Amino acid sequence: MGRGGAVKPFALRVTEVVPETAEAKSFVFDVPPELRQAFAWRPGQHVTVVVEMDGESLRRPYTVSASPHAGEPLRITVKRQRRGRVSGYLHDHVQGGSVLRVMPPFGGFCLDPEPTSHRTLYLFAAGSGITPLYAMLRSVLAAEPYSTVHLLYGNRNAKSMIFRQQLDALLQTHDEHLSVTHVLSSPSWWSATEAWRGRIDADAVRRFIDTFPPYAQDAQYFICGPGSMNVDVRRALMDLDVPPERIHAEFFGAAPPDDDTSVVAVASQLTVQLDGVRHDVAAPEGKTVLQALQQAEVDIPYACQSGLCGACKGRLRRGTVHQRAPLALEKTEIEQGWVLTCQSVATSPQLWLDIEA
Amino acid sequence: MNQTMPILPVEAYVDTEWFEREQRLIFSKTWRFAGLAEDISEPGQYLSVQAGLNNLFIVMGRDHRLRAFHNICRHRGTQLLRAEGKGRKAITCPYHDWTYDLEGRLISVPQQEKEFPDLDTSCLGLLPASVDLWRGMLFVHPDPDADSIMQWFGDVEPYLGPHRPEELVEYADGAGQEEIRANWKIVVENYIDAYHLAHLHSGTLAMYDHSRIESGFVGPHFAFYEPLAPHYAKNLEANAPYPLIDHVPADKLGAFVPMLFPGLGLSETESAWSIFHVVPLAPDRTRVVLRTKVMNVSEWQFAKQEWRSAGFWSTQIRGKYEGHGDDDPMASGDFMQEDIYACEQQQKSLRSPYFSVGATARHGEAAVRDFQRLVAQWVEGAP
Repeated sequence: MGRGGAVKPFALRVTEVVPETAEAKSFVFDVPPELRQAFAWRPGQHVTVVVEMDGESLRRPYTVSASPHAGEPLRITVKRQRRGRVSGYLHDHVQGGSVLRVMPPFGGFCLDPEPTSHRTLYLFAAGSGITPLYAMLRSVLAAEPYSTVHLLYGNRNAKSMIFRQQLDALLQTHDEHLSVTHVLSSPSWWSATEAWRGRIDADAVRRFIDTFPPYAQDAQYFICGPGSMNVDVRRALMDLDVPPERIHAEFFGAAPPDDDTSVVAVASQLTVQLDGVRHDVAAPEGKTVLQALQQAEVDIPYACQSGLCGACKGRLRRGTVHQRAPLALEKTEIEQGWVLTCQSVATSPQLWLDIEA
Repeated sequence: MNQTMPILPVEAYVDTEWFEREQRLIFSKTWRFAGLAEDISEPGQYLSVQAGLNNLFIVMGRDHRLRAFHNICRHRGTQLLRAEGKGRKAITCPYHDWTYDLEGRLISVPQQEKEFPDLDTSCLGLLPASVDLWRGMLFVHPDPDADSIMQWFGDVEPYLGPHRPEELVEYADGAGQEEIRANWKIVVENYIDAYHLAHLHSGTLAMYDHSRIESGFVGPHFAFYEPLAPHYAKNLEANAPYPLIDHVPADKLGAFVPMLFPGLGLSETESAWSIFHVVPLAPDRTRVVLRTKVMNVSEWQFAKQEWRSAGFWSTQIRGKYEGHGDDDPMASGDFMQEDIYACEQQQKSLRSPYFSVGATARHGEAAVRDFQRLVAQWVEGAP
């Protein structure tokens, strides 16, 4: 499964553009039979869209919001970012019939349903963080009949809720296995939506778990939202004795501020084993490993370049690096030597990395 | 198929060696009933339960999730917790005060620097086990990686009653224990024997229609249903002993009486839901733990229903025989006392060299033969 770098993008035709809210649209793709295998995705994974603009090749990862277990076609749901060039382009210029260049699915933040599993899935979504969690919950409801999903969904107001109608419909058909609790930070006075007032913070998490204690005892917790919400929810769960192995998180929207300029890269000799092919690159001081490799035109995988998506993951075999904000990595992965090249600066004169595309 | 050959030898019902093998190969390797969901409802509450050779305890964390561990201190094996309790934030061994948190991590070893300078506490956490909830019942399994409880019960679930035990309330007078002087398999065979219903219980179970039984094994579990007898069904609202369970649809009125392997019986009827938990104590002794749940309505409703139905039951129930005294189970009019009596009478003969099984009913005792075959399969090397 490609990770958006050493694999080339494929031209995929958009069959439909669906407005979800004033700021979010879904783009449904037609994947021809010969590409079905390459584009098979797991619930929670992303695809990278590559767009040429002003002479630059821009790439952005977007979560696949459809479920492969519910027989749905490949679809991404994109929220327009205020100064987002790619999201702006998609919203303003792409319609049914347009062709986009898309790289195959990747990502480790996944929920794979098992038909005999008996689980309680707690999903914490804020804003567009709903996209991977929506794919996950559709998959559980379709393919894991003994499990139950509890969703805590935070938004500004009812109008900004993505997938509102779809969730209401699922509550009708799967009411024994799904609960949806809305949290609104600025609800309109006239809003008739039943919701908790405020944000998804430690109190909301405690209240949520108290209201929906697990029935199936194999409980797993998935979090997707902006940096501070992620941190707050994780801490609140751990304060309730939830073991860290059961908590899975992905950052969306604003990353926590990256003001870590404490460590400056030293000049280093990089050796990268990329899918078995060795590349030797002299990395200048002050550049991240990814920047050094891009400058040397080594075709390594990458997408968001902010430490959020995990596409640029590699295994450090020799040498040391400092990682600024490797948000896409779990603590155990970092301990095992995984690094994000977009976040890594060399702190030793020699580095050896293994990267698989 | 020769119906007169016993499938299990007599030794299976009297020998200690067989008993130990069953404890090891059946009761230590299957999901074991541990209580009702309400038994642990608050973080910090715990209870301990024996699953074959293993004593396990279940404790609830602040995330309202249950954890199960082997009830063994990693120091020198002392059993940590007693039967049940509440308010625990940590588990401390009574012997040397080694302390574990609710995730099982070893967090305190008294005088560690002096007495255990090289101790790696991260390797000495409590041994995890499995725990899950199903149909309002707690189950444990000694293996932390046991197959999901739905893999174990999923196939038989459609054949059980439509009852939602989580919505019913426990009826205090329905809780109790019996100690039966018979092997646990004699007790289970009695539970699943259909042939005796119209005979041993001719005066005590005639409100169900034994001529329309639907039963059979689904995997290792035995499913059973019989509808109401016409004379009882005719005026059910008035004649049910307790308020009717409101979520049982008309076409499912009757008695669902499954026996879930290896020894959890359920009785799911029009007005009550009970568990019949078979606990082997010795080759010739078995405890049965009983609990009952009923509709969540007022005491007044129960009293009213009792008065309404009293006339029906006074004519309906009679002892099988005229009594030999106040304690004669065969005159008691109590079907459980009748079953206990039959089981004990059967066990008594097993030691006689003249004991044999002459024949078994083709249909009514098919379940008994199937159950014996099942036990033989689980206990390796059995005939």
